[in-house]
Amino acid sequence: MKKFIQRFYLILILILLYSPIVTLIVLSFNNSKTRAKWGGFTVKWYASLFQNQDIMNALYTTLIIAFASAFLATIIGTAAAIGIQAMRKSVRTPIMAVTNIPMLNADIVTGISLMLLFVAIRFSLGFTTILFAHITFNIPYVILSVMPKLKQTNKATYEAALDLGASPIYAFFKVVFPDIFPGISSGFLLAFTMSLDDFIITHFTKGPGVDTLSTKIYGEVRKGIKPEMYALSTLLFVSVLLLLFVVNLSPSDKENKKVVKHRKQKQFIFRRLVPALLLLVLIGGGIFYGRSSNLTGKEQVIVYNWGEYMDPEVLDLFEEETGIQVVYEEFETNEIMYPKIQSGAIAYDVVCPSDYMIQRMIENNLLAELNYDNIPNAKNIGETYFIQSKQFDPENNFSIPYCWGTVGILYNKTMVEEPIDSWSVLWDEQYKDNILMQDSVRDAFGVTLKYLGYSLNSTDLDELEAAKKLLIEQKPLVQAYVIDQVRDKMIGNEAALGVIYSGEAIYTQWENENLEYVIPKEGSNVWIDSWVIPKNSKNKENAEAFINFLCRADIAKMNFDYITYSTPNDAARDLIEDEALKNSPIAFPPKEDLERCETFSFLGDENDALYNRLWREVKSN
Amino acid sequence: MANKLIDIVNISKSFGDNLVLDNLNLYIRQNEFLTLLGPSGCGKTTLLRILGGFESADHGEIIFEGKNINSLAPNKRKLNTVFQKYALFTHMTIAENIAFGLKIKGKTSSYISDKIKYALKLVNLDGFENRMPDSLSGGQQQRVAIARAIVNEPKVLLLDEPLGALDLKLRQDMQYELIRLKNELGITFVYVTHDQEEALTMSDTIVVMNQGYIQQIGTPEDIYNEPQNAFVADFIGESNILSALMVEDKLVKILGVDFPCVDIGFGKNRPVDAVIRPEDVELVTPDKGILQGIVSHLIFKGVHYEMEVEANNFTWLVHSTDMFPVGTNVGIYVDPYNIQIMKKPKTEDAEAVGVEE
Amino acid sequence: MKNKRKIYKQLLAGPYLLWSIAFILIPLFMIVYYGLTTSDNTFTLRNIAQITTDENLKALGLALLLSFISTVICLILAYPLAMILTSFNVNQSSFVVLIFILPMWMNFLLRTLAWQNLLEKNGVVNTILNALHLPTLNIINTPYAIILGMVYNFLPFMVLPIYNVLSKIDKDVVHAAQDLGANSIQTFMRIILPLSVPGIISGITMVFVPALTTFVISDLLGGSKILLIGNVIEQEFKQGSNWHVGSGLSLVMMVFIIISMALIAKYDKEGEGSGF
Repeated sequence: MKKFIQRFYLILILILLYSPIVTLIVLSFNNSKTRAKWGGFTVKWYASLFQNQDIMNALYTTLIIAFASAFLATIIGTAAAIGIQAMRKSVRTPIMAVTNIPMLNADIVTGISLMLLFVAIRFSLGFTTILFAHITFNIPYVILSVMPKLKQTNKATYEAALDLGASPIYAFFKVVFPDIFPGISSGFLLAFTMSLDDFIITHFTKGPGVDTLSTKIYGEVRKGIKPEMYALSTLLFVSVLLLLFVVNLSPSDKENKKVVKHRKQKQFIFRRLVPALLLLVLIGGGIFYGRSSNLTGKEQVIVYNWGEYMDPEVLDLFEEETGIQVVYEEFETNEIMYPKIQSGAIAYDVVCPSDYMIQRMIENNLLAELNYDNIPNAKNIGETYFIQSKQFDPENNFSIPYCWGTVGILYNKTMVEEPIDSWSVLWDEQYKDNILMQDSVRDAFGVTLKYLGYSLNSTDLDELEAAKKLLIEQKPLVQAYVIDQVRDKMIGNEAALGVIYSGEAIYTQWENENLEYVIPKEGSNVWIDSWVIPKNSKNKENAEAFINFLCRADIAKMNFDYITYSTPNDAARDLIEDEALKNSPIAFPPKEDLERCETFSFLGDENDALYNRLWREVKSN
Repeated sequence: MANKLIDIVNISKSFGDNLVLDNLNLYIRQNEFLTLLGPSGCGKTTLLRILGGFESADHGEIIFEGKNINSLAPNKRKLNTVFQKYALFTHMTIAENIAFGLKIKGKTSSYISDKIKYALKLVNLDGFENRMPDSLSGGQQQRVAIARAIVNEPKVLLLDEPLGALDLKLRQDMQYELIRLKNELGITFVYVTHDQEEALTMSDTIVVMNQGYIQQIGTPEDIYNEPQNAFVADFIGESNILSALMVEDKLVKILGVDFPCVDIGFGKNRPVDAVIRPEDVELVTPDKGILQGIVSHLIFKGVHYEMEVEANNFTWLVHSTDMFPVGTNVGIYVDPYNIQIMKKPKTEDAEAVGVEE
Repeated sequence: MKNKRKIYKQLLAGPYLLWSIAFILIPLFMIVYYGLTTSDNTFTLRNIAQITTDENLKALGLALLLSFISTVICLILAYPLAMILTSFNVNQSSFVVLIFILPMWMNFLLRTLAWQNLLEKNGVVNTILNALHLPTLNIINTPYAIILGMVYNFLPFMVLPIYNVLSKIDKDVVHAAQDLGANSIQTFMRIILPLSVPGIISGITMVFVPALTTFVISDLLGGSKILLIGNVIEQEFKQGSNWHVGSGLSLVMMVFIIISMALIAKYDKEGEGSGF
């Protein structure tokens, strides 16, 4: 009976621990691209995984960093453990206290502190900084694994070896090392696992173009995880699981000597051969992928763009045609992008902010003037869009429009009763827990200000307080604040209403025909995302070549087909064959709709802080 | 000493395929110092743990004061155990350790503090009340473990190689202390050891065990002077064990030479084992001996000389206060009363000689 | 000669000491510096005082509450679990312990994200509950989901130190307590529990600190509706662009971390509880 309860309890815990893992494995066989829907069984993601260079690159970066940091941490940590062991207690205690810091300190503090250090010494964030950070938090694990073994080793054997004429180094490797080897190897494994699983510290110390699996996944969270990622995780997990099973199922010590000999062979296979093979794959793969993503030497351009905002093939074409290598990095909101440019820790070459943010960057003198001679294809962009851009870039000196659109409500026709034409539905009690709001300050406030009949560029404290009050009132009705996830959740019928960018609406309609998009009658936001070049760009000409390439009609058309966001490129619009799409009211809304809309403008740092404060009050309420 | 306090009936126990105790029978009398003696792995500790209730037997019964206690939990048994590695509670002071059992039983605090004082005095540790176990030496910890057990006034005290971890001098002191305790407290001791000298010094009764079987039960004198088989003879003290032939009653042929002896009832021309203690081998001039040999080895041992004598292809171990230099031709004589004749063992098991730890 | 050798040995710790100064101590000093200055490098306590604003206090309070609840749940779940694991024989137990480390080979973010799938309105759990005609579970995007995520992610960090300490308790010490008359509850309360305190303390800090400062779990399972102090700090660095306030708030966090380090130093002198 007791045994039964024990087993039952153990199984319950295992269900808790492993149900997400089973879920992920199931998702890796899901034929549908979105997480929200089961589209039948497939193994295609496993095939496409190996063609997906982004993911494979992230995998190898992860493995190489895990391996290198664990390896270096093991060497430094083992030496340190031996040294510390030889110290007086009064010296040892403070050193061990320092050693404990990275283990006990919150990851977020460790990550931030390292980032501040790297930025302060002008060490540009990238692969090396991640490696240093990982070594830093790995060393304590090694020290704490090795120390207990060192305490257990018999001092006499080491001294006996010296007595018999061995040199200290020889004596160490022949006598002490075998004794502490289990500690060293478990320290290494632990460090490797920790490095592999780390997200937070990497998040703060990484630079452009370098992604580990964790940061890649985090970047993808908002716009939906690529199914290949599930396939990869499944492969990783299953191979580790198999390895463990084989090691543990090898014959136990109790059995006779013949078997023991056999076991020795097996141990040899698993202790030596498997790690050696792993190493070979790592290095081989590293070299292979390292070659294709070589960051040094070649001409390059560092692009900082919104998530899922460009057809990856466009990048390949650009690299092919110009020989300039693209380092591609994504952001989720203007507010996330801005501090990165401002701090200058990373020298991006070309960035795609929205209207008001461009204004802010111009005012803060962060942008370089464009040389139109290098961007002849700018003529493809419709005149109206340049005129519209003057709101934030008065001389059209700094920016070239890339995409534009409106903000509106996406709703599920089967889940709403009345026709939707007003922002007021977002405050309707009957849609409690069925509303998805945008998780960005300006969008959330913009929607509310418009609903109240104010300008979405309001800086009037009373108006803003009123908006804040309304947003707090709305909070219990909101299912979640999301950005790109609106798309997946609406497709998966998770909610009835969502605030969304017009470009996403077209894609969602393809996936779920019950969805409809509307620009509410109170008016809304019309926005333009444009390409700009930061002042500290090191490859300005490459950046201009890149912008020029994107302005080519066929390329802009390719992008439009992929991301479905309205293009300001008139030449590209002419190339659209599907008449319905060409004249889609969502992609290219009628004039009267647009007249009700406003563009965001930059309100000054102080008002920005005010918006941020109010938004935090909403979020923390 | 007649009444049985504990009766162990047909106890068997195995761990996996390994049979540790095989149908074992034994009784323990009131106020007896009984020692379970044997090489490691002979089952003596397992037997003790079955008595304590930490293991349960596969078959058989443990009868305590006439009642079967097989299924009685350890905390309900009127036995207390002193564990091999003391098993002190490291998070408690010495006084708290000793008070543990009494507090559980709900004794008054004045009773408890009296008992602690008394027990610490008994084991010569007055004033150690507030020390922590870690700060004590092995011998001191051992005595605390004993004090912790005896304050509960158990009917029986089970001791599992309690002196194993101590050095020689301390061990001897503790042996006397245990004997004193037993006499003062009048409780029954069941003592497990692999050290034959310890067993001979302290016990009223010795139970020699090997491979799950009892080899011999008897007083220390019986066990030493009249081992019932080669295993016991070899395990208890040093001895010359010789394959021999019982020619007839009172005559045994050893190494091809007839020796008169006093044993009868083995039948005629039966193979037997003869045991002769080294101190019973008398070295005489060659003409006076039953056998002739040459001294091959000589060591001074303090109270006596230890010599090896080669005679008829056998190396005799001899203890004598007389010294014969190496190379001396000597005669060997053994008094008929000092030859112990034993049956050849029937099974291989009984012959197996364990290796000391 | 012997002393000289000892000094050589101590020199082996040199690289690590340099490393820890460069990458542990100086970075911490950087946080202190940023936390106590404004953007034009003048001394201020305003950044730290930011913790007292309504919304930050709320975020801190909620973080404290949720991480406290999660820690308690972890402890309640982990202790019996560690005891069960201890009762397995040695060969099996190393395997069982690995089972708890194994999930770490599946990315932490993906694992947490998978709970979204499980808990969503039309998610796996609710589908099963529906099929069984049971009331559905609507905890996604609520604090309960965050607690679940914390418990799920940090449970192994509670189990392993407790397991470590429990498995080191000499079986005979437990037997001795029984032998002296203690029943199983008394044995547990007076012997096993006090002896496992180092593991419990170590487990508590290893769960509480990361739970208190997390921003990922609240992000993924709270639908961005619930702001914990970790989210506030992360946003100051990654969105709000005020590194000074972020550092000031981090300094406040470090108070809790220092408390836990002090606890460990007090109860876990031998380092029994730490490590795996």
